[in-house]
Amino acid sequence: MPATGGATSVLGSVSVLVLGTVVLGGALVYDAGAIRVRVQEKNPSGEHINLLVPAVAVPVALKFVPDEKLQEASAEIRPWLPAIKTAAEELAHCPDGPFVEVTSPHEKVRIAKRGGSLIIDVDDADATVHVSFPVRVVSSVVQELEMAGPPV
Amino acid sequence: MQRVLSALLMAIGMAAMVLAQTQAPAQGPDRWLHVRVQSSGPEGETVRVNVPLSLAEKILPAIHCKELKGGKVSIKDASKDVDLRALLEAVRNVGDNEFVTVESPHERVRVAKSGGYLFVKVREGQAANATENVDIKIPFSVVEAALSGGQDELDLVAAIRALSEHGDTELVTVMDKSETVRVWVDSKNVSE
Repeated sequence: MPATGGATSVLGSVSVLVLGTVVLGGALVYDAGAIRVRVQEKNPSGEHINLLVPAVAVPVALKFVPDEKLQEASAEIRPWLPAIKTAAEELAHCPDGPFVEVTSPHEKVRIAKRGGSLIIDVDDADATVHVSFPVRVVSSVVQELEMAGPPV
Repeated sequence: MQRVLSALLMAIGMAAMVLAQTQAPAQGPDRWLHVRVQSSGPEGETVRVNVPLSLAEKILPAIHCKELKGGKVSIKDASKDVDLRALLEAVRNVGDNEFVTVESPHERVRVAKSGGYLFVKVREGQAANATENVDIKIPFSVVEAALSGGQDELDLVAAIRALSEHGDTELVTVMDKSETVRVWVDSKNVSE
């Protein structure tokens, strides 16, 4: 039955292509990391926010931000863009560790780099906040902001 | 079926290679600048800042604000009455020595050069009961590097570069009744 054999072969090839794409895509998404935001307000009616976004989605999401908003942000942050860009590039290469730790009876703040991500933890009387994002995502945001305004 | 499996294995292999390439760990030891500020009392807080010197060296030139531009900080006001470069030259050309000693009932100040370091020691208050102690120990090469820029500026990037070539160094210690400040350099990524 050569016809059936040919169909099986095509189906096999398509499956490999799809699976291969999924595996490669998954690897790239995993490699790019995720942005995690967790806010837990401490009052009884406080809100709990838990957000997990793949970092690869950030440049795409920025395309949907209205131009005027992006230009406004770009103008505000423009003087600091070269420093942020350099910091992001260098942070990617520098070793892991806690960069800032503030401990007082009322709050705890910690900014650290771990495994390619910058992690910010704040625990005070009002809320517990956790933000983590891949350092590399900063470069793509900076790039978008640079493009939104006049040349630096 | 075997072809399908081998193709799938190839795809997984490629994915693994992508991950291995992009997640290769940073190599080589790095020097860290540590700052620790501890205030006492019931409301006391502790602030710890740890910065890789390599990171500071790269970021500083990119910052342009007020007196800090391109990794150099303007000291126009501070250097108005003192020729820091001439002072440095004078200190460099003499051997280890004590240059300044001030003794008063309320304060004792000592500035000295010893073993390649510049020492500044300040003790405020009565001798037996000092209210503030300041100890500064800066490698002389770092001082030279800091003053290697223009006339009225400190070259922070050059100073950091010089600092990274030194071993573990205790740079500044300030202790008073309410606060302790410590600045030091070592190869650990966490402060004590």
